[in-house]
Amino acid sequence: MSSPESARPTPVRTVVISCQVLQDLLLRLLPKDLAAEAIFMDYGLHRVPARMTGTLQEQLDAIEEPSLVVLGYGLCGNGLKGLKAGKHTLLVPRVDDCIALLLGSYRTYMREFQATPGTYYLSKGWLESGSHPLKEYEEYLPKYGSKEAMWLMDQQYQHYERLVLVAHDAADLETYRPQAQEIARFCERWGMRYEEVLGSDEYVRRLVEVAAALDQADGNFLVIPPGGEIRQEQFMR
Amino acid sequence: MSRVYERLSTAILEGDADKAPKLVERGLKEGLAAKDILDNGLVVGMNEVGVRFKAGDMFVPEVLMSADAMQASLKVLRPELVASGAKLIGKIVMGTVKGDLHDIGKNLVGMMCEGAGFEVIDVGFNVDPEKFVEAIKTEQPDVVGMSALLTTTMRAMAQTIKAIEEAGLRDQVKIMVGGAPVDAAFAERIGADGYGSNGPAGSDLAKKFVGAA
Repeated sequence: MSSPESARPTPVRTVVISCQVLQDLLLRLLPKDLAAEAIFMDYGLHRVPARMTGTLQEQLDAIEEPSLVVLGYGLCGNGLKGLKAGKHTLLVPRVDDCIALLLGSYRTYMREFQATPGTYYLSKGWLESGSHPLKEYEEYLPKYGSKEAMWLMDQQYQHYERLVLVAHDAADLETYRPQAQEIARFCERWGMRYEEVLGSDEYVRRLVEVAAALDQADGNFLVIPPGGEIRQEQFMR
Repeated sequence: MSRVYERLSTAILEGDADKAPKLVERGLKEGLAAKDILDNGLVVGMNEVGVRFKAGDMFVPEVLMSADAMQASLKVLRPELVASGAKLIGKIVMGTVKGDLHDIGKNLVGMMCEGAGFEVIDVGFNVDPEKFVEAIKTEQPDVVGMSALLTTTMRAMAQTIKAIEEAGLRDQVKIMVGGAPVDAAFAERIGADGYGSNGPAGSDLAKKFVGAA
């Protein structure tokens, strides 16, 4: 296989802006030069989609040279809606959120989703830099006291059915299992069951490949040309 | 305007479920009309909650606390609203669409609609299009409200509207949609009659649909 650098059709610079949740996968798969300059953003941006767009827009606008900007995001609750490419070209995985990227394909995500809609996903990225029900509860405790904190948790999670740890190899499963199981025990109060899924890096791998050869972008990716804007409808499939 | 209104809207905003119902009682004792306490105090507070939540200045726990304070206040106020001759202004069937089990927003809109004088039939969460259709047949509502939290599930709103059309019921009801990923453009695209950005906006919309706004 030729190096991604030589396969790139135009001599534009490539910049990666991604959520921390995908940091590990991307650092493993990106060519060294891109990995070194990749920008990883706080995992919690999607909680306030209206602000997420602005934060990402600032990052984009700060890139001086017209570039191919690879976004390690999905639509993320509309966090990407309205993002303007400006002088850049944007490459975005055509997914609702990071779960499809962690599982490896849109189809796998849809299959999982239809089987058990009420699923809370954990991954290495989420466990290291993100949040989860137990952590949320621990954050509520000093602020609200145990009774109120638990009530708040119940309101948010009582209808969930399943907690799934997604890992990309057996070693990661081993490493993160104890923490995931501790969260699973906490989530038992809502009748949630615990499962483990071996995800695939296929989607993120393709993202990295397409970034090096944009003409390979298929229905799994959106390419937004300079002057374009990301719209919600583009993600519907 | 009475100071009670302002203090009440603040208590709602701060999610104080002890203070808010007491302020409702005080307002009633002072001779304020139940409907004015609702509109000038409670609804004003919840409106602000909606605005701050969207802007990221309030998060889900705070919204839940506010909703709880609202619920406690309505419990005190509702008998007074009924006693003061407020009639039911319409009927709403409301649910979170198929594949989505998030019901905090839906419950909040339901509460605001009840406060505004609607009979609310809550069909729950993860509701199949067919179940919405059945509920329209049996309950004969004026309005159908659908909610979704995820972009993954908001497509089910379009499927539900299609099912309602295919059952020949579309002309009988006004359909309103809401939830974090939903906006007015999406509502229009899928053929809904309107979009509500938060609890009070949802009940305002429903009131407009039945000519009570």
